Amino acid sequence: MASADKPINTDVPEKDVFALHFLQSLSNLRRQNTFNSPEKTNDRVKKIKKAAYVSMARAAGGTNRLWSRALLRRAAKENNKVVRLPRRKKRVTCLRRRRSNRRDPVEEEEAERLRNLVPGGGGMETSKLMEETAHYIKCLSMQVKVMQCLVDGLAPK
Amino acid sequence: MDLSGRFGARSGNGVPFREVTGLESLHLGGGDEFRQMVLPENGGGFTALLELPPTRAVELLHSSSSSSSQATLHSVGTLTFPSNPILMERAARFSVIATEQNPNGNISGETTTSSVPSNEHIKTEPAETETSDQAAVEKQNNRCGKRKDFDKKVKSSTKKKSKSSEENEKLPYVHVRARRGQATDSHSLAERARREKINARMKLLQELVPGCDKIHPKRDRFWWKDEDQSVLWGPSNCKLSLEESFDLQIQGTALVLDEIINHVQSLQRQVEMLSMRLASVNPRIDFNLDTILASENGSLMDGSFNGTTMQLAWPHQVMETEQSYHHRQLQQPPPQQWPFDGLNQPVWGREENQDHGNDHNSLMVGSASLHPNQVKMEL
Repeated sequence: MASADKPINTDVPEKDVFALHFLQSLSNLRRQNTFNSPEKTNDRVKKIKKAAYVSMARAAGGTNRLWSRALLRRAAKENNKVVRLPRRKKRVTCLRRRRSNRRDPVEEEEAERLRNLVPGGGGMETSKLMEETAHYIKCLSMQVKVMQCLVDGLAPK
Repeated sequence: MDLSGRFGARSGNGVPFREVTGLESLHLGGGDEFRQMVLPENGGGFTALLELPPTRAVELLHSSSSSSSQATLHSVGTLTFPSNPILMERAARFSVIATEQNPNGNISGETTTSSVPSNEHIKTEPAETETSDQAAVEKQNNRCGKRKDFDKKVKSSTKKKSKSSEENEKLPYVHVRARRGQATDSHSLAERARREKINARMKLLQELVPGCDKIHPKRDRFWWKDEDQSVLWGPSNCKLSLEESFDLQIQGTALVLDEIINHVQSLQRQVEMLSMRLASVNPRIDFNLDTILASENGSLMDGSFNGTTMQLAWPHQVMETEQSYHHRQLQQPPPQQWPFDGLNQPVWGREENQDHGNDHNSLMVGSASLHPNQVKMEL
């Protein structure tokens, strides 16, 4: 029981938003007939995971954040939907990963690893990547907390 | 253009004519010196004529033809009477006139007149002059031939010069670059700005990532512990070379990045695990979700809470959660419907309907805290 993780709704309004989005997406999942069949636990896991990420993206960034955009786009692709995300005012230039000799290889390598982790990080500049990573980490931790709460609450004793 | 054509024809005719006159004079003179003297001069005049524009050349030819005829006469006279002072004077005058008339000096008469007073010592002179002229001509020809080479040389030299000048310019260019060095400097400035940006983000990330605060890449740069002696090397007694410190800094940032990556990975893994757990607990979740979502319209019905069941189901849990409102809620609401549901557990539709009331409460409490309640209620 992670009691300390339990949210106090007034203090962290974002957490509420996260929870609401996540629950919404979960209820949407539940409405699907295939989801309720108890055999396909793997599918269910995948779907819940996806729902978690997508709801997180919706709750946190919407289309304002690069990572959330990437997540939403990926989700839309997986659903075979053509979703046009609204264009950002500041156009995001997709930089191919620059490799210059000046930069330290170790750091660059690490940054590369980070790029693979953060959704949509492939085209990001390093500083942008850091920023997005920070936001992403925050949101992820929020999501984890929310999910933890859910799981803790729902776990059968 | 007819005129020009005529002129051209005339000039074309004129040149051989003049040569003929020269030859005549040579024949008349019969002297080797004359030939020697005339030929180069003729050549000079020829070339000079050729160089002249056609109209001018024609004029010159006319004048030269007349003068040459006179000159031939004179030359004959001179030859026959070499010691005639009057003739010599006239010849000299004529020559002066001729020279005056033809400043180009391409007239055979002039040569003849000039050669008239020539005695032995003068004869040698034209030879010298001839040789010199020939040499000059040869030189000229050579020049003509060599001109290209010379030009090439000049070009090459100019190239070299230009190269050298380029090099010379390059040095200032380098200097300019160095002045652009401001540019490079600004470049490095931009790089530095970028670094600072990244470092700021790093700091932000470090604050976010729990284990990361202790790394402090910047501090690593100046303070680090010697493993053997356990001595803290500071900037005051800096035993670090620049490279070492640089390495340390890189190491520091790399470490921070590594930590961040680990954190993100762990978070993602957590999400996966939690989703797995949720999937395993799934049906109840769904039920809860629906109730929660529906809660917005649901009226607050404390009666719907089944206090007895809840208390039965999860007294320890409530204690463990340490949340006062849980306790309150659990203890407060004693609804009658719940025992049924608790008994006939997973009838989702029913529960949803019944839970409407609860949801509001749960929302009030907090979305996350809600679910445990409901779960417990189910249990």
